[in-house]
Amino acid sequence: MLKCTARKSSLNTVTKLYGINAAKTYNYNPVSLYSTTNKNLQADQKKQTELEFDTHGSPIVRGQKSTIPEYKLPKWKEALGEYVIKTFGLDMDKIRAGPVAGSYYYSICKEQGLQYENEPLSDSAKFFYEDLKLPKTFSQWFQITALHEWMLFVRMRAMPFKYGRNYQQKLVDKTFSDIEMRLFDEMNIHSGRIVDQYSKDFNSQLKGAVFAYDVGFYTDDTTLATAVWRNLFGGRKNIDYTHLDAVVKYIRSQLYVMSRMSDREFALGKFKFVPTKEKINKLSAQEEEEMKQKIIKKYEELDKSGLLLPSDKSNLSYDN
Amino acid sequence: MSSHQAVREGAKQVVRLLEKFPEEKFKYLVSFKATQLERFSRIAGIPLPKKLATEVPGENKTSINEIKDIVNRTSGPLGLQKDMLRKMQAAIPHDQFTESAMKDQITALSNLVNNKYKNYYDVGDKLYKPAGNPEYYQRIIDDIQGKKKENILAGLRTVFMGR
Repeated sequence: MLKCTARKSSLNTVTKLYGINAAKTYNYNPVSLYSTTNKNLQADQKKQTELEFDTHGSPIVRGQKSTIPEYKLPKWKEALGEYVIKTFGLDMDKIRAGPVAGSYYYSICKEQGLQYENEPLSDSAKFFYEDLKLPKTFSQWFQITALHEWMLFVRMRAMPFKYGRNYQQKLVDKTFSDIEMRLFDEMNIHSGRIVDQYSKDFNSQLKGAVFAYDVGFYTDDTTLATAVWRNLFGGRKNIDYTHLDAVVKYIRSQLYVMSRMSDREFALGKFKFVPTKEKINKLSAQEEEEMKQKIIKKYEELDKSGLLLPSDKSNLSYDN
Repeated sequence: MSSHQAVREGAKQVVRLLEKFPEEKFKYLVSFKATQLERFSRIAGIPLPKKLATEVPGENKTSINEIKDIVNRTSGPLGLQKDMLRKMQAAIPHDQFTESAMKDQITALSNLVNNKYKNYYDVGDKLYKPAGNPEYYQRIIDDIQGKKKENILAGLRTVFMGR
């Protein structure tokens, strides 16, 4: 259920309301709304009853409390989990793919281009919809998400095959289950057949986009730019080349940041997309070496200390 | 008039840069190079390259211009409302370049042609030859360029093993 807040402009207080009970808890006088004698009062009342939707802090998957950003597992569940992992010697790197790639990495891909009609745009969404003048549609959101997912795929391929593949799989699985949910709930499509059709369509779009971006990434900037033009910009004729230039720069710089991360850090979900407003400068050889040593030292100490919980252990390398 | 001349010169430069774009080995529905060459050749006032000119007005197929003509002749094209059409028109950025805008286009394109970002943000072999699947990109490129055809066994292996 979406949380909604109603602002009382006169008192300057924010009352939080949940769903249907909104009108009950929020005590306004319904009669005054229909008053014809005092026009000013009417206008005031109108302002007060305006509802603003705010999705901040609400679960990523609606109805699942475990996806609230600040969710904490009960202590006994945690202890039981640690015990199971230790006794059965479970491979945490494999298990971690779900929460890291499926949940966290998907959420950062999703929120890049996320926009709702009655909510202000986030900074990253402003870049895509205002600076690049992309249309505010669902399929455009999907293209933006696909672009970010592909960037993560590129880094995941550089992990050991078994793990990287699993991370990719989890990310894709989550994408499509979420798309299905969004089509049903947010786009208000009631026919399962149509949702299936859309999902298949998005699946082939994702395949095509990943293929085209892969080729562009490996060959040169011009090929990458044409791939971006075909997918992100929908192949429209009146394209502003400065936009293409900006996106290619964005992609290359994000990949550069990812390439400087070790497998261990990336697999633990330490990566986030650098905001578009920030300029990414190249590290000098010395800075790079320094950073590397710092990371190696940090994880060496952690591994040796014996303080790590069984669920925090990882066998992935931290020195590449 | 002088600014008009400058825009034309700029468009010519853009066309020259666009010609440096590589031919797409894989045929897509739309070609960036072809559509953009057509667009800027018109602004620059130079005739289309021969190869493109034969491609654009297909003999059997209805061309885009013909469809546009048909659509425009009816009062409410595609059965859409007038204000909806106006909205759609407003949403599409128009091709009216000022001198400085044209300059921006040229710098952006030359950045791309010169591989500026690929060279500056060099990711190295870590991502170009990823540890999990070192031959991944090379295989795709070889296949597109038709250099190396893989036999069915290699294909099946990819299907079952994932690489």
